[in-house]
Parts: sequence; C-alpha cells; structure tokens
Amino acid sequence: MNAITMREFAETRDVSEQAIGRLVDAFYTKVRADPELGPIFMRAIPGDWDPHLSTMRNFWSSVMLTGGRYKGNPVAVHRRVEGIEFRLFERWLALFDETCRELFDKELAEAFRMKAERIAESLKLAVFYRPDRPWPPSAA
Amino acid sequence: MTYVVTDNCIKCKYMDCVEVCPVDCFYEGENMLVIHPDECIDCGVCEPECPAEAIVPDTQGSLEKWLKLNAEYASQWPNITVKRDPPPDAKEFDGVPEKYAKFFSPKPGQGD
Repeated sequence: MNAITMREFAETRDVSEQAIGRLVDAFYTKVRADPELGPIFMRAIPGDWDPHLSTMRNFWSSVMLTGGRYKGNPVAVHRRVEGIEFRLFERWLALFDETCRELFDKELAEAFRMKAERIAESLKLAVFYRPDRPWPPSAA
Repeated sequence: MTYVVTDNCIKCKYMDCVEVCPVDCFYEGENMLVIHPDECIDCGVCEPECPAEAIVPDTQGSLEKWLKLNAEYASQWPNITVKRDPPPDAKEFDGVPEKYAKFFSPKPGQGD
C-alpha cells in the first residue's frame, strides 16, 4: 500500500480519518507485541481493546484534525497506570514514529511525531515531576 | 509544559478554544478564560483556533505573569467546555493594549 502523503491527509477528511484509523490499529498491534510496553498495556486494558482503539482514534482525530471528538483526562489516566516508567515514554515514541513512517510520507510522519513528542513531554511532567527532585529524573 | 491564555483574551472571550480542546482544560472568568496548566497536554490544538491570538505556548519568553494567572484562576473559576456567544463588543476590544490593567476581573464566569 502506498504511503499516505501530507497533501492527501490535509485535503480529504475521509483520507485523514482512515489514515488515523490505520495508524492506531497498526501502532497498538506493535504495542501489544512489544516486550516492554505490551505487559503494561495489557494489564491496564485487560479485556476488549475495541473501546480503547476507538478512544485513540478520536484522540488523534481531535489533535490532528481539531474536531473536538475526544474529550477526556489523559493526565489522570496515565497517573493510574500500574508499572508506568519514565523511560517507557521513549519506547512508546519510537514505536509510534516507526509506525507513522511505515504508513505516511516523511512530512506527515513528522507532523505526527512532533505532536506525539509534545504530548509525551507534558504527560511525563504530569506523572513524574516532583519539585524537590531533578528533572529529568535519572535513568536509574 | 502548557499553553497559556494572555492579555488579548480579556473582554474578547470568543471561546472557540473550548470546543476543540481534547482535555477540557479551560476555565471561565467573568471576562476571560484560562488554561489549567496541570491538565493541558500541550497538543496545541487551541492556539490557531483563537480569533484574538491570545493563546501561546509557555516556551515563549516573558510569560511569568500569565503562567501564574492561568494557574491561580484555573483552580478557582468553573470549567467551560461548551462555547456560548462571545460578548457583543468583543470585536471592539480585540487588539486593545494592556487590557489586564484596565479590565481584568477576578470574578468567576458562569461555566457550563
């Protein structure tokens, strides 16, 4: 299948929604198979994954297409995740970027990567920042 | 990291931002909105939506006063997620300099 281009993504709503659907499905297939991320995600979402995939499609649609379809509190959700670790955000971002580069052209993959990095940084701060400790926390 | 609502929101309060925010982190004062810095995920969706260009990323310099104001009032004012009509005279105040000193109100808005 041909990579979806930034131009196609920006021009047609159908294409952009489909692109997000493919990204979310492919990415979470990788996440579940990943030795580091898989167990944490499977513990956080033990049953049916369809609602989560649907939530994530809405989230990325809201972020990339500004439709306001997702409404939620991802900070609170991430604070509750058992086993969440600072360094795993890097792994998440690497897998996400890899998936984007497989499906999209360079420009579109880059647009997703930049959004994902900003959001990840803010979730990391929300989950791990303590005023009395150095930032970023040491890798130990 | 967060986005911050600044001076030009005062007395304009267009509220386009609240509809697109994925995390519902806007709070409403009598004549401006603020962003809750602990709830904002830095997605940037709101920035281009603001007709008054009042929303900026905190990576931009000299925002200490606004960062403080957003944090302080986000915990006092009611949450707003649904846009209403902006003030009838919003356009007249769009671009007026130094609105904080002249018009800022610490009173809460009506919220949702």
